[in-house]
Amino acid sequence: MILNQPLTLKVADEILLQGNGIIGPVTLAYETYGSLNKDRNNAILVCHALSGDAHVAAHSDLESETPGWWGAAVGPGKAFDTNRYFVICSNVLGGCAGSTGPSSVNPSTGQPYGLGFPVITIGDMVQAQSRLLDALGIHELLAVVGGSMGGMQALQWTVSFPTRVRSALILASASRSTAQTIALNEVARQAIYADPNWKRGGYYGSPSPLSGLAVARMLGHISYLSDQSMRSKFGRRLRDRQAYGFDFVPEFQVETYLKHHGLRFTERFDANSLLYLTKAIDYFDLSFGLPNLSDAFRTVTSRFLVISFSSDWLYGPPQSEELVRAMLKNGIDATYVEIQSDAGHDAFLVEVERLSDLVRDFLRQVKADRSPLGYGRGAVFRNRRVLEHLHGDGI
Amino acid sequence: MMTRQDWNVIIDLIPAGTRVLDLGCGDGGLLAQLLAHKKVFARGVEQDEGNVRACVARGLSVRHGDIEAGLADFADQDFEYVILSQTVGCLQHPLPVLREMLRVARFGIVSFQNAGYWRNRLRAWVGNGSGPTLVSGQPLIRSITMRQFNQAVEQEGLQVEQRIDLAGSRRIWGCPSLRAQTVVSVLQRVRYTGLAV
Repeated sequence: MILNQPLTLKVADEILLQGNGIIGPVTLAYETYGSLNKDRNNAILVCHALSGDAHVAAHSDLESETPGWWGAAVGPGKAFDTNRYFVICSNVLGGCAGSTGPSSVNPSTGQPYGLGFPVITIGDMVQAQSRLLDALGIHELLAVVGGSMGGMQALQWTVSFPTRVRSALILASASRSTAQTIALNEVARQAIYADPNWKRGGYYGSPSPLSGLAVARMLGHISYLSDQSMRSKFGRRLRDRQAYGFDFVPEFQVETYLKHHGLRFTERFDANSLLYLTKAIDYFDLSFGLPNLSDAFRTVTSRFLVISFSSDWLYGPPQSEELVRAMLKNGIDATYVEIQSDAGHDAFLVEVERLSDLVRDFLRQVKADRSPLGYGRGAVFRNRRVLEHLHGDGI
Repeated sequence: MMTRQDWNVIIDLIPAGTRVLDLGCGDGGLLAQLLAHKKVFARGVEQDEGNVRACVARGLSVRHGDIEAGLADFADQDFEYVILSQTVGCLQHPLPVLREMLRVARFGIVSFQNAGYWRNRLRAWVGNGSGPTLVSGQPLIRSITMRQFNQAVEQEGLQVEQRIDLAGSRRIWGCPSLRAQTVVSVLQRVRYTGLAV
């Protein structure tokens, strides 16, 4: 199959949202890699993070393509081996890379949604993805994987569709956003609100709030790095000057780096999408409405590989450990690894070679554990656990 | 395949098909053997990233982290057996760990090198001290004698249900506090007979 841009598919006429109202019609942009086997049980869904899109990797038969945001991890012979697995990646609901989002045209007005787009949640993104899989004829996922916001979607998948997900790989993520992450997201949003071009989201057809979006991205970038990685990457080095200029021109390497990435981001991202996606991250809390987090995993049967990175301070080891504890308290089959890395939150994207063996070994085991009765070794124990819970609830 | 002298004993002690947690499971060697010989439901806790990776390569499910944090993650009586093989001497707070072990499992299996073994005593008296040396650079390891261990077990409200004393890989019967090189104990909570609980 030759692909130059993601496929798009209308996955639902309307989706009932977790927060308020409905959204529809819903279109998702997606790309696929490898091929679905006869039993339709080798599919892996990759969920992207805040700034990602459906283009997770280049297609091996199409040399001119850009490498993709996780090209080192997805492809023939790579960690997510497309010779064995059928990999699907879709742009999230609310995104701006082909899926329905605030920059899409609202069919009832004929104008872009802008702030007329309803506030969506991670759960809503997962609902939309499930419709996409329905349309592709895939009932069961061998694995769902994601880092950061993608990890939240993967977690939500195991909770929303316990019978459809055999395993989940959760990288640099968390079961809920903390005050610190909400605070950072709010500052990013305030940067956009403060841009006079934003016009309460109604900027389509006029100049976009590029400077606000760039500042939001610069802030994001700081949170993706670590103290160690910034020291080694930039130190106090100057970019184009031999000596301090004693003025306000960006001169430290770290300043020009942030400026460059902030500007580059505005070329491909919609400011309103950033508002909606950060809001979805803020609302994410698997324990919402429950006495405690471990209750969220009561009916979950998936097997987990949870990975954190030592220098990640955005979704670091303590959050992953909280997650793992909630899983283990429920007797869920979870493996946890904290990878030593200086790369901060970005590690899940840039330290792919440190992930590859773990991913490969884990997937191989998940695949091998298929028993005719269902979800493999441990299923008897897990099912017993679920039955006990049901019994305990008086059902 | 690397086998430690206490492993065969531990494998014999554990009935087939039970739920087993190995604390400080290393590269998963013991769990892999338990899986192969006893078809147990195997889980591990391990502190070293490289070892955790080796466990994942064996297809094992392991929680990376120190033993104290790892134990706290498991629900009460989640396992039949929890193993602490040659690790109790390296723990910062060994007694709370023993207590926690019998919270998450019915039986605890603890093995350690007996510091009272006659060769160790001899080395402590006339040799160049006992245990890890400055030069070896090993982390702090406590010297544990059989009597010390039994006292601690009693103090924690636990009991030694069964004990297997080894010299090399051979089981010995007489004069264990002097002759046992490795001690494998099966621990259980003290049962209060005659009391309605």
